Amino acid sequence: MTESDHSAADHSASLARLVAASRDPLAAGGAGVSGGAGPASASSPSAARSGRRPVVGYVCSYVPEEIILAAGCHPLRLGARPGPTGPVDSCLQSFACSFARGLLDGLLSGQGRGLGGVVFAHTCDSLRAALEAWKARKPAGSFTHFLNLPACVEGSGAAEYTASEFGRLAEALPAVEGARPVTAQALTEAAELMTVLRRELSRLDVLRSERPDLLKGSQLLAIARGAATLDREEATRLVRGVADGLMGPATAAGPAPRPRRPRILVSGGFLETEEPLRLVEEAGADVVGDDLCLAGRALAFSGAGCDIRRERSPAADVPALLSALSQAYLSRVPCPTKHPPSRRLEFLLAEVKSRQVDGVVFLLQKFCDPHAFDYPAFREALEASGRPCLSLEIERGGLPAGQAGTRVEAFLERLRFVGPSADGGGGPP
Amino acid sequence: MRRTSKGDPSGATGPYPLLAADRRLASDRDLKGLILKHYLGAYKAKGLLGRKPVAWVTSGAPVEILLALDILPVYPENYGALIGSRKAAVAYCEEAERAGYSQDLCSYARTNIGSMLTGRGELGGRPLPRPDLLVAAKNICGVVVKWWEVTARHFGCPLFIVDTPFAADGLTPAQVTYVRGQLEELIVFASRAIHRPPPSREAFEGRLLGVLELTRQATALWQDIQVLRQASPTPASALDMFTNLFPIVTLRGSALCVEYYRKVRAELAERVDQGLGAVDGERFRLIWDNIAIWYDFDLVRYLHARGAAFVGETYTDAWGVYQYRPEDAADPLEAMARLYSQVLLNVGLEVRKERLFRMVRAQRAHGVVFHSCRSCKTYSLGQYELSRAVRDELGLPTLVIEADMTDSRAFSAGPTKTRLDAFLELLAAGCAPASPNLA
Repeated sequence: MTESDHSAADHSASLARLVAASRDPLAAGGAGVSGGAGPASASSPSAARSGRRPVVGYVCSYVPEEIILAAGCHPLRLGARPGPTGPVDSCLQSFACSFARGLLDGLLSGQGRGLGGVVFAHTCDSLRAALEAWKARKPAGSFTHFLNLPACVEGSGAAEYTASEFGRLAEALPAVEGARPVTAQALTEAAELMTVLRRELSRLDVLRSERPDLLKGSQLLAIARGAATLDREEATRLVRGVADGLMGPATAAGPAPRPRRPRILVSGGFLETEEPLRLVEEAGADVVGDDLCLAGRALAFSGAGCDIRRERSPAADVPALLSALSQAYLSRVPCPTKHPPSRRLEFLLAEVKSRQVDGVVFLLQKFCDPHAFDYPAFREALEASGRPCLSLEIERGGLPAGQAGTRVEAFLERLRFVGPSADGGGGPP
Repeated sequence: MRRTSKGDPSGATGPYPLLAADRRLASDRDLKGLILKHYLGAYKAKGLLGRKPVAWVTSGAPVEILLALDILPVYPENYGALIGSRKAAVAYCEEAERAGYSQDLCSYARTNIGSMLTGRGELGGRPLPRPDLLVAAKNICGVVVKWWEVTARHFGCPLFIVDTPFAADGLTPAQVTYVRGQLEELIVFASRAIHRPPPSREAFEGRLLGVLELTRQATALWQDIQVLRQASPTPASALDMFTNLFPIVTLRGSALCVEYYRKVRAELAERVDQGLGAVDGERFRLIWDNIAIWYDFDLVRYLHARGAAFVGETYTDAWGVYQYRPEDAADPLEAMARLYSQVLLNVGLEVRKERLFRMVRAQRAHGVVFHSCRSCKTYSLGQYELSRAVRDELGLPTLVIEADMTDSRAFSAGPTKTRLDAFLELLAAGCAPASPNLA
């Protein structure tokens, strides 16, 4: 085997490991993660005995994984339970957001039994109700924390208030069995780890836009979910392996990029599966960008991102680091549950231009108010910029395949008829 | 708003046969005048000779600050209720839906967006007067933040969000500091929006304390009214209270509001003295949970006609929260931050349950009717837990009705009536269901 063959085999294995983890996060990450070196190593006797770190599930990308890692826990992003609804029907009406219902359904069905705790965050009315229902039904003594984040990411006191909430989380987490107190050193190391992981994911984000024939948008989403599931150090190595493999010498010597296909950006919330993106790709388009909770938007930290290393000095203490972390999170491209919405629209308009996007597909979660309120104005602005839009309603990560497929095909026909957008289209980037 | 007067059971043409008319309050006549005066005042403020700036505010906005700055608040939610009570909301909702707003969104929002986009309305055909500024407080839901963003985009108008973090079972000092800081900022924001320099602290606080005192007086009267309803028979039922909500929501902080509730209290006290009930032959005393079904008051009349009166509503009771104390004068903004953060829809389920149980006991209720309102997630989600608690812990029967406050397309009168009949039978049997049934 040549070096290129080895590299290709390595990155294929890394990709397979990440994608497999994304398929069943609770199985891959929910049973605990082996302790070891690094910021997340466990120090408590019980965790040390078992050699596993407690797993803390969380429900929103505004929950800082850095703090969970610094508390010696393993952060696991939770999604909705697939399949028909179960116990949630006796807790929340059918008009609650389908993600909140599916999430609660999973927890009530006992899918999170291996979790050491769950962290909710303030997002929307439906998730708040899911939290309240979970508090009423959760097993006695199980750890649940509500990160009471602001709705406004700008304005008087938002950063100070967010830092205080991050502080409450840091103080609460040691109550998880096997967790440890958050120290400045552990927090700094966790922030470094997450910065590197996000940087590696960002390399793949660029690649799926530049060479969608090498890395599909649906694959990036699966990788991002796998990375939110596996041990973050392992995830970093795997993502780097995929990026190095795909961007290495073998690629340069490989086949030329294939002819240009319609370039699509997808916008929406959290997706449990990459099926909606795959549907677009199988219809003959490339998903070259996204404004989703777990991939594009989660990587869109401004400036140095969540890198709080500038605060690393002998004098840097936990409050100073949490303050830096709060500012980093508030500077992200905001989720639609956050105010003001203008930064997200600016992000979308910039992305469709820089990635030479031809059309935008909105994946609107059934009964999700924040996305639904933004949709008409965002669609209008995107269409004014020359990007036709399509909206599809999703429920628990899925689409009604037949009908949605037909609509996607009709949309792509429309794009082919209209032709590439005036300010960016016309050929491969 | 459409009203049924004594002896004129206009609802008889509706889906529910009426066996008797409900007894309405004489003060209703004054209420009509107040509503007219409020909206005419708003149009006048924006007329040719108008000089008064208008703010569109949410029902949970700290309106006393705007009043102290001589800004006229207008309430799109109340306007939505008004359109709903005229059975006219569906046409406006459909306009919003044509513009891309999902039918699953709040119908108050869709009604107002439809009115805003078409430039039509239900007050002489006109929409609400154009705002100079927009203020939304998140304490009632996250939806108002998004709805006000839409409004701000439409009018190109300055928008201020009062971000009140969820007060699950109390407030942290950081929350109070955060909200209080925003109220300070609101004073500056609103002054700039109306092109005036921010007022001096002393002058502003003096005016603010005056407005807060009027809010306190109105709140105290509103609570007195709720206490008078403990009488048997109750002197006022849900129809009286839903309509009488207008002043405490819309005119809170004004002398008019205080004056009006003095009259209502006096009338109710007189009824209690005379043993006169809102409903003839009161047999069952009920509590209503959630916003009214504005387009179908006949539903309540159907219960009245069968001797079931509403002796309390969590919706109307929620406006009794603004209980300012003399010591709050030392820091009125902090007092406002605390009270506006702990309104009914911004507290946890346990606190809501405590308040509901307190009301059930104080009003000596026999059962609770939950309106599962498709439009209002903060109010409705959690009702299944509350319903279970009333049945299991208090041993009282409950009923969950599926509907919407203004969009009548989400309501089916026939099946609801059948369920009301079953509920009445349960009440007549004097017991809670043997096995909990959520449906």
